[in-house]
Amino acid sequence: MNSKELKVLFTDWRVATLLILIVISVIAIFPHIDQQGHLATNLQYGLDLQQGSWLQLEFRAEVVGFTTDQPVEAFVTNLSKKLDTEVIVVESTNPNHLEIRKYFSQADLEPIFTSEQGKITSYQQGVSKSTADLVKRILETKINTLGTKDAKVNTLTGLNNVARFIRVELAGVDMNQAQEIVGKQGKFEIRVQTTGNQTEHVLSGDTITSVQTPSQSPPGSDKWGVGFTLSESGAAAFRAAAIKYGATTDPANHNLIMLLDNKSVYSAPLSDDLAGKLQSDTIRQLFASTGTGKYGTQQATNLEIHLRAGALPVDITIAGSGGVTAPLGERYKMTALLAGIFALLMVGLVIYYRYREPVIVLPMVMINASEIIILLGFISLIRFQMDLPTIAGLIAVLGTGIDQLVIITDEILHEGKVPSPNLYLKRLSRALGIIVVAAATVVIAMAPLALMDLSTLKGFAIITILGVLVGVLVTRPAYGKIIMQILSK
Amino acid sequence: MGLINYNIEKYSPKQLVIIPLAILAVSLILLTINIATTGMPVTPGIDFSGGTAVTIITTETREQITLYFADYPLSEVSDMNNGKFLKFGLMDDAKYKSLTSVINQKYPDARIDQIGETFGKTLQSQAVLALIFSFIGMSIVIFLSFRTFVPAVAVVLSAFADMVMTAATMNIVGIPLSLGTLAALLMLIGYSVDSDILLTNRVLKRQGKLNEKLTGAFNTGIIMTSTTLAAAAALLFVAWFGAVQILIEISAVLLIGLLFDVMNTWLTNVGILKWYVLKGGGK
Repeated sequence: MNSKELKVLFTDWRVATLLILIVISVIAIFPHIDQQGHLATNLQYGLDLQQGSWLQLEFRAEVVGFTTDQPVEAFVTNLSKKLDTEVIVVESTNPNHLEIRKYFSQADLEPIFTSEQGKITSYQQGVSKSTADLVKRILETKINTLGTKDAKVNTLTGLNNVARFIRVELAGVDMNQAQEIVGKQGKFEIRVQTTGNQTEHVLSGDTITSVQTPSQSPPGSDKWGVGFTLSESGAAAFRAAAIKYGATTDPANHNLIMLLDNKSVYSAPLSDDLAGKLQSDTIRQLFASTGTGKYGTQQATNLEIHLRAGALPVDITIAGSGGVTAPLGERYKMTALLAGIFALLMVGLVIYYRYREPVIVLPMVMINASEIIILLGFISLIRFQMDLPTIAGLIAVLGTGIDQLVIITDEILHEGKVPSPNLYLKRLSRALGIIVVAAATVVIAMAPLALMDLSTLKGFAIITILGVLVGVLVTRPAYGKIIMQILSK
Repeated sequence: MGLINYNIEKYSPKQLVIIPLAILAVSLILLTINIATTGMPVTPGIDFSGGTAVTIITTETREQITLYFADYPLSEVSDMNNGKFLKFGLMDDAKYKSLTSVINQKYPDARIDQIGETFGKTLQSQAVLALIFSFIGMSIVIFLSFRTFVPAVAVVLSAFADMVMTAATMNIVGIPLSLGTLAALLMLIGYSVDSDILLTNRVLKRQGKLNEKLTGAFNTGIIMTSTTLAAAAALLFVAWFGAVQILIEISAVLLIGLLFDVMNTWLTNVGILKWYVLKGGGK
């Protein structure tokens, strides 16, 4: 092939796209020597391939389908009182469902529903999707503020929009630490003192929309505290409860109590100023003072964490856990790398056995390898954490990628003659037709995994689908062009 | 390819499909028995039934290990290259905590994975759904692209036979259904049909004698399956050497499935297709 032909080849858009993608991918993977002198890349490793732990948490709550001839609002309020927990109407998709944020069996709930003139039509342990997302966000914030760098939180939502489990993955943390960080999540609540030692629920942590860092109030004084903001509904609930139980008229005897895991972490009366304002209007900006001096600062810092991330609206228990130690992770990584190289080699050998022509075999293997490079580049770009199933998926992409190159080669080489350009195009499109159908079946077969929350398999399915798409859209057409140039020699 | 002599002319469609159909029937019976005893077509592993899986690097014998864990519900010890893979049944929290500390004392580098029973059960139903959806999706694509009934049914039947035979073999060999092997089975649904599609395309859309087209398709198709087989075999070998349980299981399932795919493509699918063309279809 002379330089003119090479130029034609490289300026062909199919080949050019492939080359550009390879370059971008290599930049994205960014192989380099790090400060310790090891070869490093931008690739992110999941828990299988490095030290880390995962926890599967189960929500101690349930979503219940119901019917009642009572007004829904009153029904829910009464229910909430009887069960002594928050009861929320799951809106939008299924308006006939309640989320009960405490664990009760169906048998426990039935008599209570009956006494309130309601009926249970369905029962499922878990929380609504929106609550699950909320818990996910809270956990992420909590983990991030603790400085753990690679954390992943995924809710597992069933087809009926009820999430029963949430999965937390923490890289670089052993299992005991992980349990400490996540397992002992607190449940935050504000209650108001009614008479004597009696208290009533006012709001839970999810109505706190933002929390400020500890500050002095008034500024420059030595009086510390934490400011926080309530949601519209939270502020309304706060005002209603304060008025109802007399906290606005007699603040001194009606302390507001913040509870973390049912333990009081803060208790203070409303300031006279605030009490007066609350009487006439809802207030979203609140300030909890914690005292003066060093003690006050310390208390404020703790309260900030409680307010910010300690607030899970539902209880959780650990339903599963696991972890990989550093040496084992290292060994898995080596194994995976070896498997990839060895698989490419074996595939190359089989192809060589068939065609015996280095000018055909070499481009095939290189196209095959470039597919893996592009995939790895993409994985680096989206910061996807590779795990062992993903690697098995990559190797399968390798094996089937070459299949499709074989289809193209054999279609074009049909009857042993090199075809005229016209015939070539006809055959290439016929080959691509077969490939597109084959690719479509793989995409469809993997789709359920990509859409369902089947634990760790989601990422694997997405990578496999991507591999197929890269093949069909980029590398196969480019190969078709390259092989024609080579064969027309 | 001179090694395998695929002489299709000699056999009638009936002769071609009789062996795979017999194996399919036996496999279906085996799966039914398994459903009757365990409730699942393939015996669920820890991912789906709950329990604890432990990977340790050790040179100890099976007896020594069984003795060390005598107080715990150790249900299985399997050998791996310079290590052991242990499975424990369900236990309560306190027992599990004491197990992890016992393991960490003696094998600080162990890998421990524990799945609660309720979580496993939830995944189980999702897994079955995923398999069914995936299979239906694949069938729809095949029917849409061929638009002729018999050839499409032949491809779908071959893929179905691949799955059923692989699942039955998993039970015989003792590979449990885990998240990894579920992924492998789904890969098989997608990948096993590509040689079938090639075959059908060649036979129905090309000019020429039937037997020549079949031989041509075979020459291309067998290389395709061989490359995937080679990749899966390489994975199995390296995974065994590195003692990575999940990769061993995935690659083993792929290997088994691809071997059945060779049979189902070049006997089952070819048999039905040949019958269809000889009967006058496809022209």
